Amino acid sequence: MSARKVDEDRRRQHSSASVTRHSAHRSVIGLWSRLSRFDRAVLVVFVLILIIAAIGPFVAPYPPTVADPLQRLVSPNGAHLFGTDENGIDVLSRLIAAPRTDVLIAVIATTLSVAIGAPLGVVAGYFEGADRRAMRWISEGTLRLLDVIQAFPVFILAMVLVAIHGTGPVNVVFAVAFVNFPVFLRLVRSEILSLREHLYAEAAVALGNSELGVGFKHLLPNAWPTVLVQVSVTIGFAVLLTAGLSFVGAGVSPPTPELGAMIASGAKFMITGQWWVAMFPGLLLGLIVFTFAAMGDIVGKLMEPGQRAMPLRRLLSNARIAPAAQAEHAAPFAQAAILSVRGLAIEASGRPPILDGVSFDLMPGEILGVVGLPGSGKSILVRAILRLLGHGLQRRAGHVFFRGKDLAELDEKALRAIRGCEILPLLPNAKSQLNPLVRVGDLMVAHIRAHNRCSRRQAHARAARMLGAIGIGDVEHWLAAYPHELSGGMAQRVCLAIALVHRPPLIIADEPTAGLDVTVQRQVLDLMMELCHQSGAAQVLATRELGIVAHYCHRVAVLDEGLIVEMGSVRDVLLAPRHAVTRRLIAAADLRAVSAAATTNTSSKIVP
Amino acid sequence: MRTLKYIGRRLLVLVPQLFLISIVTFTLVRMLPGDPARLELGPLAPEEGVELLRHQLRLDEPLPQQYIAYLQRLLQGDLGRSWVNSSSVAQDLLVRAPATLELITAGMLIVLVIMVPIAVLSASPSRGWLARATRRISFGYGVLAGALPDFWLGLVLIFVFFSVLGWAPGPEGRLAILDLPPARVTGFYVVDALLAGNFDTFESALSHLALPAVTLAFVYGGPIFKMVRASMEAALRSDYTIYAEALGLPRRTVLLWAMRNAAPPAVVVTGVVAGYLLGGAVLIETVFNLNGIGRYAVQSITTADYAPIQGFVLVAAVFTMMVNLIVDLLQFMIDPRVSARAS
Repeated sequence: MSARKVDEDRRRQHSSASVTRHSAHRSVIGLWSRLSRFDRAVLVVFVLILIIAAIGPFVAPYPPTVADPLQRLVSPNGAHLFGTDENGIDVLSRLIAAPRTDVLIAVIATTLSVAIGAPLGVVAGYFEGADRRAMRWISEGTLRLLDVIQAFPVFILAMVLVAIHGTGPVNVVFAVAFVNFPVFLRLVRSEILSLREHLYAEAAVALGNSELGVGFKHLLPNAWPTVLVQVSVTIGFAVLLTAGLSFVGAGVSPPTPELGAMIASGAKFMITGQWWVAMFPGLLLGLIVFTFAAMGDIVGKLMEPGQRAMPLRRLLSNARIAPAAQAEHAAPFAQAAILSVRGLAIEASGRPPILDGVSFDLMPGEILGVVGLPGSGKSILVRAILRLLGHGLQRRAGHVFFRGKDLAELDEKALRAIRGCEILPLLPNAKSQLNPLVRVGDLMVAHIRAHNRCSRRQAHARAARMLGAIGIGDVEHWLAAYPHELSGGMAQRVCLAIALVHRPPLIIADEPTAGLDVTVQRQVLDLMMELCHQSGAAQVLATRELGIVAHYCHRVAVLDEGLIVEMGSVRDVLLAPRHAVTRRLIAAADLRAVSAAATTNTSSKIVP
Repeated sequence: MRTLKYIGRRLLVLVPQLFLISIVTFTLVRMLPGDPARLELGPLAPEEGVELLRHQLRLDEPLPQQYIAYLQRLLQGDLGRSWVNSSSVAQDLLVRAPATLELITAGMLIVLVIMVPIAVLSASPSRGWLARATRRISFGYGVLAGALPDFWLGLVLIFVFFSVLGWAPGPEGRLAILDLPPARVTGFYVVDALLAGNFDTFESALSHLALPAVTLAFVYGGPIFKMVRASMEAALRSDYTIYAEALGLPRRTVLLWAMRNAAPPAVVVTGVVAGYLLGGAVLIETVFNLNGIGRYAVQSITTADYAPIQGFVLVAAVFTMMVNLIVDLLQFMIDPRVSARAS
């Protein structure tokens, strides 16, 4: 069991515990303030619907089931706001009385579905991975049986069930419950399957609880949030189903106020122009279904833990830092530099900057290490240089000059020509950088042809040569492979090949060895440095590991909370750190690896 | 080779599934109170006739034999008789199936040709007017879709486009009352009329198909629309798209490659939706008086005509199963990860 998994487990356990604690303690106002305006409107309508469903028949202005032949099909007017139907009953009164039928049927039916589906789901989930074959067979058999039940279209199945047992509310409840229980069974089963992998489940079993008992006592409560979201959605769906059944005459029959039956009785008048009989019930039906579905979303949102964890911390910590007093760096770019960053500030809209006043120069062939704690802004810096900030982030101030050209002022086309040809990215977790549905060869060929006029065949040959050059055998096999067939190290080698194929003057690397095991890390880095050295490429190398910096870089910049707090030659910074963060980073690293490498690091001499 | 093997294995799974479905439809009739022979012949049939049928259906034998008899009749394509219009159920379904299939096909075409492109466009982060307009459409549609009942939407469309505007024909079926159906080739009136070169009939069939198909597309395209949009958004924001941008690949390539990733979840959801389509067709055919198998089922339910109900349920289940099969095969073809796992 890796340390990360333990950590994840603890977090999950903690967050689920904190959710319950929060929801118990947090005042209604606190909840309210976290909702958007739209969500609040939904919540208000939701409560209104529940109230009308509870007391509807008693507050209707006219009796909802008493016919008045003299008032047939009166169009909406002052006395009958929504008009009257073909029996002369006030449509508004029937509308107020009707949700009781629909919502009640839907709620009871959904409760029944959960009551049947959830326990079966726990059992199916537990039996699925059980040691005894008989148990696995039961679970497998249940699922296959569900497949068959679900092969029958929901509406048709419900319709036939009602047709067989006869119409009436009770049979509709059973039919709706029956067609929905597989949803909950599957949901709970998949939740249990994922939850039981967690440490606290194993711990509970180790403490001597029976597996099934743990399932009900410890895991099912953790599955409730997901189930609750589904319950809300299902109730909405069940209302629709009930109305549909009544519409075709296989549900609640006319004298009882019910939305589907009301629409059915108004259908023929829609064609002749008396639209109000069917129009209003449909609108109300739509509103009810929508509200329950939207409530599902809201419940899900409120139960999502950790939504507010991160930004707040950064908000507070950055507020303490005085605005960067680094204006002197905002001088024009250095002439010889290949990359000049000047006073770069990046912010997420409305929040304090994530990067502030970052300035540095990079000479051709130079390797600059950028180090910092996680979250210090290294990746954002890398993305900002590539001008790929993505959603929600923007440049507030500063410039990035590449060979004297301000990247921010280039148009799309010019930028495309530079990106991937002269500035190459090398990003963490190479496997996730490769599109899973694009073959390695297709990506390489497209990349070569994006910057070079050549035929597909020539590009393919060049890609093959490049892979060969970085020591990959059986090149054709790997070119035809999809990313999922590659190991992490192989994927990073492919990315390295892509990065070097155009012999770029600048490589921007962000944790290029993240996710690789140590020996592979070393191979990839050595290869990368050797090839960069051959082609004279400069590098910005963002990493957490000082060992890498000490071993490979010429200069190092220490980033903390979006500011460069210390910058200089590797030897100076690592052997005589001046800033607390640098000292912390050094303390956290393997000391011998850093100091030994930094002592033998001779690169400071070649830095201009 | 691998593909063939996969298809073969997938088809093998179909056999027990079909078997189970037949058991379910068989028990469905057993669940009815009363005598199946009496139910099949209706309340008006004489006792001798019922007795004869009981013997023919082997209802006087134990259950397993009865099931085998049922299975034998199924294999011969015999789904029993409707007592209301004393016709063969298999024949009835066969005559009506094209209307339903035409409706479903037309609805899905609208989803594919109009709604999916809008969903893809609305997912793009560009600030152009087209992207903004589609984003607004998709927000409004997201609010409405899934909440509006299909049968009601159909009525509203009739009210607006027939009663008020007069642009579309009323709910009078697949053709105007005086139109003659074209010679049957595919059973789709729109296609058959074109094949016969009869443009008046073609126009009539198309205009009668328009509102039902739009209703079906609007209501059942919702989940597909949302899924395409969500997975396209996810794909555009993912690491591999950023990487592709960082490599300076042409915009077109970046978008196309992102779309490849949006396809598998969209196909899955389409399969799920297709399962609901027949149910939707039942309601929409009732509203628009289309003479398809859905309306046939509703009529049978109101007249307590059990043989057609049983037949329809069987057809519906087999249809859903076939759709699932097609979805699985599509998945296999477009996603190399699925095919890797499968073999």
